[in-house]
Amino acid sequence: MNERVIPWQPTVIAGPKQALLVTPETAKMMMKKAKRPLLVIGPLAKEEPLLTHSIEIAEKWDLPVVTTADTFKIFSERNVETKSYGTVEILNLLKDPEWKGVRGEGQHDLVIFIGGIYYMASQGLSTLKHFAPHLKTLTLCKYFHSNADASFPNMNDEEWSKYLEKMKLN
Amino acid sequence: MAPKPKELKADFWKTKDFKISIGDIVSEEGIESTDESSVVMGPTQKPNVTDLRSWDMKLLERYPPFYSPFCDMCCLCTYGKCDLLNKRGACGIDAETQQARTILLACCIGSAAHSGHARHLVEYLIDKKGEDFPIDLGMDIDIEAPIMRTLIGKKPKVLGDLKEALDYLEEQMVHLLSACHTGQEGNSKDFESKALHAGLMDNLGKEVGDIAQIVALDLPKGDPEAPLVELGVGTIDREKPVILCIGHNVAPGAGIMDYLEDQDLEDDLEVCGICCAAIDITRYNHNAKIVGPISKQLKFIRSGVADVIVVDEQCIRTDVLEEAKKNNAAVIATTDKMCLGLPDKTNEDADKIVSELINKQIDGALILDPDKVGEVATKVAMRTSGERSKVQVLPDMDEVVELAKKCTECEWCDRVCPNSLPMMDAVVSTAEGDISKMEELYNNDVCYSCGRCEQECPRDIPIISMMAKIGETDLENQKYNVRAGRGPVQDVEVRRVGAPIVLGDIPGVIAFVGCTNYPDGGEEVAKMAEEFLERNYIVVTTGCGAMTLGEYRDEEGNTLYERYSGSFDAKGLVNMGSCVSNAHIPGVAIKIANIFAKKPLEGNFEEIADYILNRVGACGVAWGAYSQKAAAIATGVNRWGIPVVVGPQASKYRRLFLGRTDKEDSWRINDLRKHTEIAGEPAPEHLLYAAETIGEATVMTAKLCIRPNDTSKGRQLKLNHYIDLHKKYFGTLPNDIYKFVRVEKDIPITYKRDVMQILEENNWEPRELPQEPSLMDMKGD
Repeated sequence: MNERVIPWQPTVIAGPKQALLVTPETAKMMMKKAKRPLLVIGPLAKEEPLLTHSIEIAEKWDLPVVTTADTFKIFSERNVETKSYGTVEILNLLKDPEWKGVRGEGQHDLVIFIGGIYYMASQGLSTLKHFAPHLKTLTLCKYFHSNADASFPNMNDEEWSKYLEKMKLN
Repeated sequence: MAPKPKELKADFWKTKDFKISIGDIVSEEGIESTDESSVVMGPTQKPNVTDLRSWDMKLLERYPPFYSPFCDMCCLCTYGKCDLLNKRGACGIDAETQQARTILLACCIGSAAHSGHARHLVEYLIDKKGEDFPIDLGMDIDIEAPIMRTLIGKKPKVLGDLKEALDYLEEQMVHLLSACHTGQEGNSKDFESKALHAGLMDNLGKEVGDIAQIVALDLPKGDPEAPLVELGVGTIDREKPVILCIGHNVAPGAGIMDYLEDQDLEDDLEVCGICCAAIDITRYNHNAKIVGPISKQLKFIRSGVADVIVVDEQCIRTDVLEEAKKNNAAVIATTDKMCLGLPDKTNEDADKIVSELINKQIDGALILDPDKVGEVATKVAMRTSGERSKVQVLPDMDEVVELAKKCTECEWCDRVCPNSLPMMDAVVSTAEGDISKMEELYNNDVCYSCGRCEQECPRDIPIISMMAKIGETDLENQKYNVRAGRGPVQDVEVRRVGAPIVLGDIPGVIAFVGCTNYPDGGEEVAKMAEEFLERNYIVVTTGCGAMTLGEYRDEEGNTLYERYSGSFDAKGLVNMGSCVSNAHIPGVAIKIANIFAKKPLEGNFEEIADYILNRVGACGVAWGAYSQKAAAIATGVNRWGIPVVVGPQASKYRRLFLGRTDKEDSWRINDLRKHTEIAGEPAPEHLLYAAETIGEATVMTAKLCIRPNDTSKGRQLKLNHYIDLHKKYFGTLPNDIYKFVRVEKDIPITYKRDVMQILEENNWEPRELPQEPSLMDMKGD
């Protein structure tokens, strides 16, 4: 089996359904197609280079941003507008089809994740896989997340950086 | 060991107008606690599985279960495996219900572990002391068993009385476990109600176990000045024969200490422990030492320091025998929970067992008699120690570097690390002669040494052994202390702080409990405790959590236990004891309801839990919870109305209880004083919450101490800490602050202008302060 699509933590495999392996091009197509996408940024993005990558991707695609844990602080210091929720709080809202979303315009149809702690993100993606059929999930981390609908593969830092750079282009 | 005469603590005599009459204990305001003759039994004596279901449904309505399936499948019966992703299984179960079923199973396992432990203790101690041995916790504790009184409706007077509680909970546990069978319960909330019941039985079992060992083994009886005991790998004298006890049951360790005392050998051997057995042995005899929490286990066994390893029950590595064989240590198993395939030598002559162990005729021995364990362990350690000291058990530093050079940088050690730690980087650096990264993993148990990296390594690099060796280069700095577990909180302490806690003047009681499956080591947990201690919270702790707090020193070299008193008071750091001592945490909340608010306990669970949920600002923190016991502990205290914050690994438990602040109706409360329902507030906002970082956990913990009953003065204090901490970790005032301001007087003066601005932005209007907030007698009840 291609090691790029074995979940980074291999025991995360939960069942027959696995995420679709995506390239930046496919990921961008998903974002273009989405009506109400949301970017959820986790605490690993408090450090560079992921901090700048995340900000630039959000700006490029005009994505509403939720920061989880205490990630809000550094984004606030960089004058990036984000809404702060605990990971489990935002997941709890996302699984409710009646929730109006962070902009009050309706529930999101695509949720893009980056910078979450792998094992917790995996659990959260499992929540949405099971209980949020109304939305799709996409992960831009450098690890394959089998519980997402679509995920980047396992990569080294150099390749990942190239993937993220491509996410900033049309 | 003969019981000591009662010690009359100074606090007792300071209590004003305290009168004693035969039969009742009368306080200034009225009857606090009664003998059976005058007890008015509440509606739920010995509640069955469904008797508290209506209370559970109130909690679950406000805090609906949030599920994160660990697995899409069910593989419990031969219809399966069934894939439950957006489908039902062959039995008809859906994913949500299956998660709840798994949670119930976990809570049953955890509860059974504690209660089985309690049953062992009670039977053993009755055998030793007799059924009529009095349950006497001293003059300062009259409400000896608040959980048992509430659930069983009786005050236990002698050891034999505890059996009634065990009989009751064992029956309940059979029914709960049976509900996990295929084709039983089919509703997730009803599964959760049963899980809450399993958690409650866990609380009861722990209370029985700890009370039995406190009274019969003369452990500290709520003593705030219990002595400091030694903690840390560096405190173990390696020149002496060493006996290591791992697990939770004090009996074998007590047997060893008794034998040493009888033979006048106390100065000749080291007796130390890992996990809660260590805590309880040091409560029994302060000469024993604590190696550390569960995360030390594999590293310390590998170090070869222990000549004899005595295992009892719970949280012991199941490969302990194989690991011990590698360095010629003898293993003695001591309970029916863990026999390890060893021959039963319980009825064998002690010297013959010693001979068989020393001559390697047997791999180890199962000895179900704690006194015999004491004799055998001591004799084996004394006779093998000299020879074993010549065995090199860890690689030397040159070998460590050579072993590291075998690494091919395949990354699989990183990938299988449950905590996603940079194991490979540490190995690669070591190969280059730089051990600092390995030291970082060793220090504060950032790596809790599960050993999965080694299992996966294609080059068989013994990463944990290398780390253990590197850790040995700095033993001098691995010397700490911890206050010996004091057991329950005294009634006089509850009288002193009951009002400040309920009114909010003491901003909260925070319990640091659970295991050491920390995302980034123990130091950040200790610093979190320090943060709350400095802010006048009461900090209580137990088990591995208590050890973690002891393993941190400030710049002056003092541990938290040296810096803060052991009193249950503002700025007090209260080590209650081991896992089973966790019972005293809901126990003290119950005592507040009983002693301060005069709520009768007997058969009155719902009223007590309702009081705690709405008025006692307590919050648990289990930052490294890993076990089924931890699941049961948290679920049990949740049922009493105490919220818990857990770490990111706990998302693998599959279920949290989360409130929704945007669902305003879910926060309505009944003001019992006025008999009217009014708009409430999200206090506490969640019942079981998983945080991703320690900063998030710290802020959430402060928030979860807010209660509807707070006076404006108390609310000001609580909001002041919430805002302070939010500013520290998030850089701003919390944008939900308006939800917790009922009237302008609630606003902390320091932040008045900023808070007023947030109130205006959110069209805030003042609302009524409830006088007796409650979820009881609501419409639709």
